[in-house]
Amino acid sequence: MKMLSIIIKDLKTILSDKHAVAIIIIMPLILMTILSFALKSSFSDGDYFDESVKIAVVKLYNGDEDSRMFDETLRNGIFSKNMGEETINELGDSSRDVDPERIFFEEFLGSDEVSKIISYRIVDEKTAMELLDKKEVSAVVTLPEKFVYDMKINLVTPFRNNVDIKVEVHPDKSIEGVVVKSVMEAYSSAMSSVIIGKNVIIEEAMANGVGELKNLDDVMEEVTSVIEDMNIEIKDVLVEGRKSITSADYYAAAMMSMFILFSAGHGGRMLLEEKENKTYQRMIIAGTSRFGILSGKFVVVFLLSSIQITIMTIYSHFVLKVQWGSIINTAIISAAAAFAVAGLGTFIASATFKAGNFKLANTFESAIIQIMALLGGSFFPVDVMPEVIQNLSFLSLNGLALKSYLKVMSGYGLNDVIKSVAALGLIGLVFLILSVAVLRGKEEHYVKHNKVKAVKA
Amino acid sequence: MLKVENLYKSFGKINAVDGVSFEVKKGDVFGLLGPNGAGKSTTISMISTLLAPSAGEILYDGKSIFDNQKSVRQRLGVVPQEIALYPTLSGYENLRFWGSIYGLKGDLLKKRIDEVSDIIELNGRLKDRVDKYSGGMKRRLNIGAALLHTPEMLIMDEPTVGIDPQSRNHILDTVLRLNKQGITIIYTSHYMEEVEYLCNKVCIMDEGKIIASGSQDELVEMIREKTQINVRLNRMDSLIAEKLKEINGVSDARISDDTVVLHGENADTLLAEIALKVSEGGMFIKSIDVKKPNLEAVFLHLTGKALRD
Ligand SMILES: Nc1ncnc2c1ncn2[C@@H]1O[C@H](COP(=O)(O)OP(=O)(O)OP(=O)(O)O)[C@@H](O)[C@H]1O
Ligand SMILES: [Mg+2]
Repeated sequence: MKMLSIIIKDLKTILSDKHAVAIIIIMPLILMTILSFALKSSFSDGDYFDESVKIAVVKLYNGDEDSRMFDETLRNGIFSKNMGEETINELGDSSRDVDPERIFFEEFLGSDEVSKIISYRIVDEKTAMELLDKKEVSAVVTLPEKFVYDMKINLVTPFRNNVDIKVEVHPDKSIEGVVVKSVMEAYSSAMSSVIIGKNVIIEEAMANGVGELKNLDDVMEEVTSVIEDMNIEIKDVLVEGRKSITSADYYAAAMMSMFILFSAGHGGRMLLEEKENKTYQRMIIAGTSRFGILSGKFVVVFLLSSIQITIMTIYSHFVLKVQWGSIINTAIISAAAAFAVAGLGTFIASATFKAGNFKLANTFESAIIQIMALLGGSFFPVDVMPEVIQNLSFLSLNGLALKSYLKVMSGYGLNDVIKSVAALGLIGLVFLILSVAVLRGKEEHYVKHNKVKAVKA
Repeated sequence: MLKVENLYKSFGKINAVDGVSFEVKKGDVFGLLGPNGAGKSTTISMISTLLAPSAGEILYDGKSIFDNQKSVRQRLGVVPQEIALYPTLSGYENLRFWGSIYGLKGDLLKKRIDEVSDIIELNGRLKDRVDKYSGGMKRRLNIGAALLHTPEMLIMDEPTVGIDPQSRNHILDTVLRLNKQGITIIYTSHYMEEVEYLCNKVCIMDEGKIIASGSQDELVEMIREKTQINVRLNRMDSLIAEKLKEINGVSDARISDDTVVLHGENADTLLAEIALKVSEGGMFIKSIDVKKPNLEAVFLHLTGKALRD
């Protein structure tokens, strides 16, 4: 009851201060609006990737062996029985121009579009699993035994052999997994369409004479063009799995993560302010414990930053069309961020109280928040900054929050942000403990009196 | 009701309260009078359980307040010297907050806010923000905030500082009214008139010590002979001081420029004799000035300095 009164009173006090409201609520709304429009172009390329998805490719086949085997099959195999010598020779010639490895690695994975999204290295099976384990790659793509042989059969003869390309994904990298699987599906469906086209030609050739088989070269050219067409498909898949981050998305989250720090600044002044205008003493005289008063400040900063977050998410969603992603995940991140900010604010409050001047709170607002904003990517995305800063960004509370919000926006699940959320919780807790420790030293109230009496006696 | 025994409080090298003892009985309006820095607020802070004494004991109803902090805090109302309110909140919000801090809620809280705002005559302005109030209104609200939980003793630390005479009179009358309703009052001030007007018991404090105490009557009695008479003459004869001293009831006389400064009891009867002695000496009186005894005079007498600068 008392606590509730203290909290309500503190909230009212801050919200009745026009200057405070301007800084903690109005300013971030204005800034996120301006920045999201002003910096639109730098984000127009779309997809927010920390970097391209790394995969390992394992070759279980032997290319030369497969090619030799194919030639052999072509000559002795069952399907050539119905063909004339001429046809077989034509097929043989064509098949030498058909290189499934080149198609897969150079024309497909190496294409402009795919290489932007996926970077690969070729390793053996064991290494691939190790890399996946250490999350150095997000997925392992295994090309099966006789891959070259089977693909040649598929591409050059009327037969179809099954080619199973295996994709293994790290459980923590589910989104990346979706991307890799989609890309592989796009590959196989492109291949299918080429194969169907080719079969039509071969069947015609077999019916009408070898002359028609000359068209097979055109079919091979088609492989390349189909792969180019595939790109569109990959893009569509991406939008489904992982949303791209717009400038509005980015700066809504960035400004929000930064400006909740000002709640900590305001909360940080409150305790000493109350001491200076003697309301603190009055509360003590009325029988309120100072840790009660301090916990009030904690709750107030928590509520204040929650209010900020609520207003900013709603505004950005409806006015700036920001898609925050899963509401529950956003709420969880917000609660953790507000908790961290509240811990920080409480620490500033007790340190400021102890120091008896507002230097710390002032420095926090005028310098520390700006540094944290820079480190955490509230001004520019961290990936455009030097690596040193990128490595430091986890230190900033707002950076952790921003990273988590962006991930949820682009479709990641709670699993992918849980570490940052836990880190925020830990930050809050550490500051809370520190603030109690700081305040415990100072004690000029009655509690100590027994000691004094003892000394006197 | 309240007994202060040998109270000490030092801040570093400053002995803010230096061995203070006094007793307040139920129904008293007890005045603590002293100049700036005398140690009044420090004493009050210790009684109101805000500060721990360096030494000494404070008994409330015979029990140490250190052992009964909780119940003592509920029974005391404290009006701090500063306006300890939230300026950006309304008068009503302030009263509600301080009431709830003292554990009031619901209908009782509402009822007390109504009653208290009647007492401090602020009911018309409770909706306004406190920073829009006049100095006198803030002072009244500052008092109101200490009354909500119906304390049996009200401790007021210079509740009239910095306000106009009308507001001040209003506050003084409120104090007397509260006292009539049965609230015991401790009132600190450096205004003599206030203490003379209000208090049945007075302690005069200076530099952390109590230099005089008693009922109004006792104090007046004590300073009775301290009536000061300044006699300005047309010319000065150095023998006149000795002559005036011979008058029965005059305790001392000294010359300062063209004036003889006398101290004595019962000035009214002395004046005729003074006039006679002067004319015997062949001089005449240009002006005569009688300073009747008051607390100011006592203070001046006891400390050699004025109560206020
Ligand atoms: N917290 C403190 N730390 C150090 N010195 C203090 C503290 N509080 C009071 N003092 C000193 O103790 C002395 C008594 O101060 P106190 O406030 O009790 O005087 P006062 O009688 O209330 O004066 P005033 O009429 O100006 O309110 C002063 O010299 C003051 O400077
Ligand atoms: Mg004082």
